[in-house]
Amino acid sequence: MSNTQSREPRPDASERIPLKARKVSFSWEDTPLHWVPGDPFATHTINVLHLLLPAGERWFVHVYKQVLPYIRDDRLREDVIGFIGQEAMHAQAHDEVLPHLKEQGLDPTPYTAQVDWLFEKMLGDRTLPPGKARQWWLMERVALIAAIEHYTAFLGNWVLNADELDRRGADPTMLDLLRWHGAEEVEHRSVAFELFMHVDGSYRRRARTWATAFTALVFLWQRGARFFMENDPTVIGGKASFKDFYRGGKQGTLPTTPDMIRSIPRYLSRSYHPSHEGSTAQAVAYLASSPAATAAEAATESLPAPKGAR
Amino acid sequence: MPRIRTVLLVTGAALLAKRAMRRRIDASPLWPLPALDEPVSGRPRSRALRLLVTRHETVAEGVVQLRLEGEHLPAWEPGAHLDLVLPSGLVRQYSLCGDPEDTSSYTVATRLIDAGQGGRGGSREVHEQLRVGTEVEVRGPRNRFPLADAETYVFVAGGIGITPILPMLRAVEAAGREWRLLYGGRSRASMPFLEDVEKLAGDRAERLTVVAEDEGGRPDLAAFLADPAPATAVHVCGPEGLMEAVAAALPAGADLHLERFTPHTSTEGNGTFEVELRRSRRTLTVAADTTVLAAVRAELPNTAYSCEQGFCGTCQQRVLEGEIDHRDELLTDAERADSMLICVSRASGDRIVLDM
Repeated sequence: MSNTQSREPRPDASERIPLKARKVSFSWEDTPLHWVPGDPFATHTINVLHLLLPAGERWFVHVYKQVLPYIRDDRLREDVIGFIGQEAMHAQAHDEVLPHLKEQGLDPTPYTAQVDWLFEKMLGDRTLPPGKARQWWLMERVALIAAIEHYTAFLGNWVLNADELDRRGADPTMLDLLRWHGAEEVEHRSVAFELFMHVDGSYRRRARTWATAFTALVFLWQRGARFFMENDPTVIGGKASFKDFYRGGKQGTLPTTPDMIRSIPRYLSRSYHPSHEGSTAQAVAYLASSPAATAAEAATESLPAPKGAR
Repeated sequence: MPRIRTVLLVTGAALLAKRAMRRRIDASPLWPLPALDEPVSGRPRSRALRLLVTRHETVAEGVVQLRLEGEHLPAWEPGAHLDLVLPSGLVRQYSLCGDPEDTSSYTVATRLIDAGQGGRGGSREVHEQLRVGTEVEVRGPRNRFPLADAETYVFVAGGIGITPILPMLRAVEAAGREWRLLYGGRSRASMPFLEDVEKLAGDRAERLTVVAEDEGGRPDLAAFLADPAPATAVHVCGPEGLMEAVAAALPAGADLHLERFTPHTSTEGNGTFEVELRRSRRTLTVAADTTVLAAVRAELPNTAYSCEQGFCGTCQQRVLEGEIDHRDELLTDAERADSMLICVSRASGDRIVLDM
């Protein structure tokens, strides 16, 4: 704690690129319930993303719309605007998986109704006096988002490199959704942190919100995995345990536990900057080959399409 | 080491608490968080579907009917339309004219409109490229022309404007309500679904008035619309001229519902209009070659937006007054009633009031 002066976060400039939302769409008709073949636990542990992200990323957008007036740097504002659109599309894309799960007999509504409550009510706009209190609550949420984005970038980086999922014959549409999303998370991984540093930057707040975000993520994730395992109509007496998670990490179908533990001190380090984690080049390379992202690119080129005669 | 002791104490307490509640947690994995009564997640706005063209037939001169097949298609109500994403990327809207009960296919019909008649290539693509066996992406269905609830119904259809009216007629007939239809067109051979409406009219042929220009000239709207019974809903779909004539012929206060035959939404047809920002107490002018978003940002630089193409939804704003010309692909019908995406959508009139 003595050498704080020399350990300011330093971004790696070569990792920064302009951000834009891609108008992707996926069709889920052919995706099986257990899209990692023969591994319901890995499937459902990753499926928890579809439970958390729609509400969570809508909340990101909601908070960031309010923080725009606090940004005094044009380049950062541009990044935040690109970030908002990407997050809005992530929420939409994951949202569309939920009806598909329901069709297959695994209704996620009891869980998503709680996540919706968490993000819309508990973390939503509070009736606070304008001024300090209101700004405090906004900054607290901006810092929470920065901490969560550390993990989305971690997961994005993981899924881009999770070759084991390919080897197991995981569903290509689901992999494309996860990798398109993961690649955009890697692409914009610095934005949330830079925004936090720009509008607030207090180390105490960073550490405090990290603890909250980490606890909440672990809590919600294990709960989601257990919820899916217990309600999966094709798995009898399904249980989710930490042991399964640890094993999944060793086999390469899930992030490894040591990697997750190692990511903790990195975020808490005073010299942390997200641009030191993951590789923009890899993300961009994936986006250039992703079926959904390339289709979106092609469709966007022909826009704006006027509507016309019947 | 007081800090380590605190951490250990807290962890120990958490583990003990978890152990104490183990049974409760095991009984229900979702205990104990509150939930939203009406969850927001998992209700996607509009699903893009890829449907297979399984029938492509000419049902009248210059009119082709397509049958698009899929599985578990979203339900629709009479008056609804589909967005078809044509092979070139053009997006065109066509009214559904099949059976709403059928969840395995949609039926649309389209008239070929040449460039000389103001066509912009959409209908030609449908006629020439959407052959049997082609896949086409559709969005919707959406309903901007719902059937009003009334005791009796009067319908006026001009040419291909019969498409949304046809399922309405079937629904009204099935509900046992009184109806009358005035169906106009250039010639009987060019009027689609003529047989279907004749069959619907059945023995009571007086319910149906067919006016073909090459036989009987112009429809006598004044006579047809004269003194409608109370609680009559009038639904009209056809060319702009027809709809204006109907509106003029009806007494003030009549229950009139219009479906624009050609939504005036081409970029060439952009008009200039005024936007009032009520909360900021400002009024600005949006020129034909700019967007509402650009105009608003000049005044309020912190306005949120992102994709600028009408798909991410960031720039959605509440509309307090004025007719909206929706050009996005995202909002639901309920949202369209009182909000718009200001990056692409415009005013259909000359003024709109936003809550910002």
